[in-house]
Amino acid sequence: MIEKEVIVIGGGAAGLAAALACHERGVEDILIIERNTYLGGILNQCIHDGFGLEKFNSSLTGPEYAQRYIEKVTKKKIQVLLNTMVIELNENKNLLVTNHAGFHHYRGKVIILAMGCRERTRGAIAIPGTQPAGIYTAGVAQELINLRNYMVGEKIVILGSGDIGMIMARRLTLEGAEVLMVAEKLPYSSGLPRNINQCLYDFDIPLLLSHTVINVKGNSRLSEVTLAEIGKRGGIIPKSKRKIPCDTLLLSVGLIPENELSRQAGVILNPMTAGPEVDERGQTNVPGIFACGNVLQVHDIVDNVSLEAEYITEGVIDYLQGQTNRDQEISIILGNGLRYVVPQKIMIIKDTIFSFRVNEPGKKKTLVFKEWNKLIHKTFFPRVNPAEMLQVKLSREELEGVKTLKARLV
Amino acid sequence: MNRPFVCIICPNSCQLKVTYEGENIFDIKGALCDKGKEFVKNEMTNPLRVFVGSVKVNQGDFRLVSVKSTTPIPKKYLKKLGKLTHSIAVDAPVEIGEQITVSGLEQKIKLVATRKVKKRIYAVEKK
Repeated sequence: MIEKEVIVIGGGAAGLAAALACHERGVEDILIIERNTYLGGILNQCIHDGFGLEKFNSSLTGPEYAQRYIEKVTKKKIQVLLNTMVIELNENKNLLVTNHAGFHHYRGKVIILAMGCRERTRGAIAIPGTQPAGIYTAGVAQELINLRNYMVGEKIVILGSGDIGMIMARRLTLEGAEVLMVAEKLPYSSGLPRNINQCLYDFDIPLLLSHTVINVKGNSRLSEVTLAEIGKRGGIIPKSKRKIPCDTLLLSVGLIPENELSRQAGVILNPMTAGPEVDERGQTNVPGIFACGNVLQVHDIVDNVSLEAEYITEGVIDYLQGQTNRDQEISIILGNGLRYVVPQKIMIIKDTIFSFRVNEPGKKKTLVFKEWNKLIHKTFFPRVNPAEMLQVKLSREELEGVKTLKARLV
Repeated sequence: MNRPFVCIICPNSCQLKVTYEGENIFDIKGALCDKGKEFVKNEMTNPLRVFVGSVKVNQGDFRLVSVKSTTPIPKKYLKKLGKLTHSIAVDAPVEIGEQITVSGLEQKIKLVATRKVKKRIYAVEKK
């Protein structure tokens, strides 16, 4: 059994930032465990630019963004295990890991969960039809094209207007494929407006809102998808069915935090975020297990992932120094207009950043925090979009003496 | 005349309302910062975009190196440049920031590598 002060599970954007921030705060004994052969996680395949505008004030590509962190991790001599997978984690913070050298037992005073998320597949959204080759999730297609030099197809339909889907539409067009359309089930796009503009409109790719794929056809390879419009009540309009010949279907239909290890350790998961329920500094219900990045909540931009990872390390240090005083608890109740809130509870009263997602797009909205009828805090947003994560900071003074906090959008 | 724009400079995605006549811009509403104004100016006359793509690497530990244009380039070149990058290859190792020049367009376009690619180590020496 090897003992470590802090063990970070996952060497992507969140894990790297969390490990570095712990080091900067004076923790020496840190271990990053990464299951891939390289650090940086999904940033490596996101070769488009637009990362780091908030963090570094310049527009970087994914690999460049990752490199800035990897260099620092190497320079600070933080221990990294590549090609290594954690296969067991329990509530005593014991880990069973495996790599080419066999099985190893580790134990961390603090465990930081930074495993990220994975994509919803065809099975998860249950598209009927045959089972031909040529149906990929957008992220898998991105890895094949950007890292492994395989092309996925020639005539492509994309289902789901998430950011990855739209970015892949542009990438495939530049690689010489024909992207026929991007279909979105909802009446609004689930990606950032800038991506609709620079990925779809720039290349005259139509975005069909309130449309979905209801069937796929093909023997060995996909040959046709059936597209239909969705009516106001959520049902399919039968007359709108049409067949689109194509050889590839990309799915960009949402991300799910990867929480198998968290579950093993007895971490309580929130049904709305699908990530752990955490307190004001990312600590889960298991003392000493923290979570940050996409394993906690699916983020819109990577800068927010890095910032969140740095933010939670304050709690990590407090925990390591024995400040586990849990005298007061505020539970946060979700009101109208909001899909989720992180954190879900507050253990120690201090300045706290709350992250939200809204249910639907809107203009001129105010986020209101109340304890029964008493107004605690409000923030105005000129416009809100489910594609974007909203963040609000409440100060220690505002939270002092509060027992329950209800957040809603009006 | 009025025309809506979506600024693509940052994730804020400001929705701009632009009043213009020919090439003269009178008013831009909705921009959170000054960068939006310059974006609209370019967008009306010569839309610019950063090109990102990938180039083959010989004997690298990755098969491809990701590249981007050092400066935003005219939008009309994007597709052609995508095709041109298929026909070139570089030798490993590649460092971040290493320049790769692509010719074949009206103007020479400088691309830089955005990933480090090490030389592949073979377990058995190839003869």
